[in-house]
Amino acid sequence: MKKIFSSTLARGLLWQAVGWLVGALFITGIRALMGLQAIDASKFFFTEPAWVFGGLLGALFFIGGSGIVSDWFKWAKGEETSEHHEDPAGGEKYFNLSLDHKVIGIQYTLLALALFVIGGTFALIFRLELAHSGLQLLTLQWYNTLMSLHGILMIIGILLGVSGVINYLVPMLIGAQDMAFPRLNAFSYWVAVPGAVLLLSSLALGGFDTGWTGYPPLSARAPVGMQMFFLGVFVAGWSSILGALNVIASVIRMRAKGMTAFRMPILVWAAIATSLIALTATQLIGLSFQLVMFQRLLGMGFFDPAKGGNPVLFQHLFWFYSHPAVYVFVLPGLGVISELLPVFVRKPLFGYRWVAMSSLGIALVGFLVWAHHMFTSGMNDYLRVPFMYSTLLVAVPTGVKFFSWVATLWKGKIETPTPMLFVLGGIIVFLLGGLSGPPNATVATDLHLQDTYWIVGHFHDTIFGGYVFPFFAAIYYWFPKATGRRMNETLGKIHFWLMTPSFLVLTLFMMRIGLLGMRRRIADYDPALGFDWYQLIMTIAGFTIALSVLIFFINFFRSMKHGEKADGNIWNSRSPEWQVPSPMPVHNFDQPFEVVGEPYDYGLTDAPYIKFAKSTHK
Amino acid sequence: MAHLNKSDALRQGIIIFVFLAVLTALEFFIAVTLEAVALLVVVALVKAGLVLYYYMHIYKLSQEADDEDEDRHSLAYKTATNRLGLWLFLLSDSFVFGGLAVARFNLLGLTRPELNQLLGLAVTSVLLLSSFSMNRAEVSMEHGDRKNFLLFTVLTFLLGAGFVAGVVFVEWPTAIAEGVTPSANAAGAIFFMMTGMHAFHVLTGLIFLFVIWNNGRRGVYTQEKHWGVEAATVYWHFVDVVWIFFYPALYLIGKLI
Repeated sequence: MKKIFSSTLARGLLWQAVGWLVGALFITGIRALMGLQAIDASKFFFTEPAWVFGGLLGALFFIGGSGIVSDWFKWAKGEETSEHHEDPAGGEKYFNLSLDHKVIGIQYTLLALALFVIGGTFALIFRLELAHSGLQLLTLQWYNTLMSLHGILMIIGILLGVSGVINYLVPMLIGAQDMAFPRLNAFSYWVAVPGAVLLLSSLALGGFDTGWTGYPPLSARAPVGMQMFFLGVFVAGWSSILGALNVIASVIRMRAKGMTAFRMPILVWAAIATSLIALTATQLIGLSFQLVMFQRLLGMGFFDPAKGGNPVLFQHLFWFYSHPAVYVFVLPGLGVISELLPVFVRKPLFGYRWVAMSSLGIALVGFLVWAHHMFTSGMNDYLRVPFMYSTLLVAVPTGVKFFSWVATLWKGKIETPTPMLFVLGGIIVFLLGGLSGPPNATVATDLHLQDTYWIVGHFHDTIFGGYVFPFFAAIYYWFPKATGRRMNETLGKIHFWLMTPSFLVLTLFMMRIGLLGMRRRIADYDPALGFDWYQLIMTIAGFTIALSVLIFFINFFRSMKHGEKADGNIWNSRSPEWQVPSPMPVHNFDQPFEVVGEPYDYGLTDAPYIKFAKSTHK
Repeated sequence: MAHLNKSDALRQGIIIFVFLAVLTALEFFIAVTLEAVALLVVVALVKAGLVLYYYMHIYKLSQEADDEDEDRHSLAYKTATNRLGLWLFLLSDSFVFGGLAVARFNLLGLTRPELNQLLGLAVTSVLLLSSFSMNRAEVSMEHGDRKNFLLFTVLTFLLGAGFVAGVVFVEWPTAIAEGVTPSANAAGAIFFMMTGMHAFHVLTGLIFLFVIWNNGRRGVYTQEKHWGVEAATVYWHFVDVVWIFFYPALYLIGKLI
């Protein structure tokens, strides 16, 4: 226990609390000296500026106090630092500063799983409320807060989970020892921790009732918890931006000899596409949230029509990130599907180049579609049609991926261990998500569908199919690489067969009642609509999903110590990381390898992908 | 252009500075006489292009990038990786400023707040001078001239500090006196947000300048090894490029509200 309290994590959290208090007291003192109101009982003792400044300072104290940036300070003073960094053996390294991309990848994944558990629990609570019309469990404010926090915690969790998969895998897949900037990599992870704390702190500060989109004018007058939400997203956004920067630089500069662009694994292409979005567009959500923060703090009228501001401007800035963000979520997941499918079908990936380019295509078209969220917002009408067409265009590169998957499966020797089940489940669920998309893209139908449960069903299908299923597949598939043990197959199959049907029931019912007029983001509904039994079944389905995920967690933690030993190439993969023993050695590959063939030539004789300079087994 | 000899580098720096100064004057003249928005955009793009190429050396990105057989642990390889990282950061950062510019034109269209245009020209000139001085500092270090490096770094720092002081302590009170306050209307909000965000970046640039001055003073940098100097220089010029667009957007383009 003592080790936990002296860890980077514990020290950081302690410093964050100190910084928060110092910042709040500082502003309170200044306000008292200036003769302004210093204490505000309606805003939980401190005034709003004091809370915001305290929150910001707390995040900075976390970073400064836990020693994450001490190497950079040494560089600024002109001192040299050691190139090598030793991690302690055992589990404690995951709670401490590490520069090893594999440790950081697992840190990301663990934090993501923690946020999924919290966000999922919130969903269970309000799903329970929705099981029956009328208010039984929650107040309206609590419903709104939980619903909003469910959204943003899952989104931040997915971003961290994406970073986890990419961080762990990309350096191995390109044959590098580590990322291009290991310290920046560690910083990217650790800055997300105070961000997550800030998000959760909004619970104690009155919550917020806008949903995760935070539209003004509502967000301009929501409780002070709103500010913590803005600040938390802003801080966590830096994790996304800097992590993406690192991925792009690593892939461009650190690839193994012979790994030309079209010999890179598909997951690396997906990582590049997703990182291009995260690197650039994330700044716009940060900016839009900053503008609302300043509007609240200083009365700056960006989105206040009374002062000549424009609330629709917020939506443009916000969706310029937040639509491409869904491609940040799904592109790595689709990459995982394309990566694993050939392994379990024992056939080359169909149309490798097209699949590689389709990731970039989705990312680039994704930049041009944001206003399809705003067909009913009152923006200029003439913008609707071009955004309708650009949105429908996304279906083309996505269709390329589906075509490739189906053609890869065609006449393959299909094996179905747990990872493959999740890959197939992901394809089916993502197909549902994809097919329910175009009705929201075409203006005429969207005017009816906007803000109904149809959208909620569509969105959850895309994210489960494009992210959650592949994420589970990736964990089942690469768990042995990280631990040297494999997860239990039976429990994995129970997880899959519980989760998939209940999830399909949940989202199909969502779409059904959405079409019949169920509004999203409301705590209660008219019993005369006749949705009570739909909602009850959806709640039961939701709890079944939670049960299946619980089984996953039991499997996950149990297998770390008691799983069947698996230190070789258990999936019979061609990928470089499986050609060395598990768990992966500290600096990945003892000997550099050279790429001499195509990555996915499964089933072909005498077609090696990589060749090591010498034997890795000493 | 590290390949240029010292006097050629000096000549190039001066020529670019003169071009930038003339274009800035031309821009001002166009704004007060013609109200030609397209022309102002063209001038700003040309200015930004000059700075990007001759002061920020964007072409260095494409050099040394494809050498597969190069030793990955060599200084040159690592510097090129660092350079790529820095430019990716600048790309990301430019989206913040781009977003602010979008907000400005969305809210104000082709109108502008009532600001003192001469004051705007004055602070712009100070920043332009600092860019020239920054270029001199970098060129000095590239030729191993530590004395001039330190001198010009201090000069750049002073000019940069002068710019921030000019914006925060002269320009802001002047604007407030004329009724352009953060909370008065959207135009005031945009003005303070854009200048504030830019001034914040200049401030961080000043910190980098202090760091390279301090390290240069203690002999950390050499003619061959001075990535810190290059990074601070490129960042400083980037902040200048942002102002090349923000200055006309706030002071020159459009009719008065």
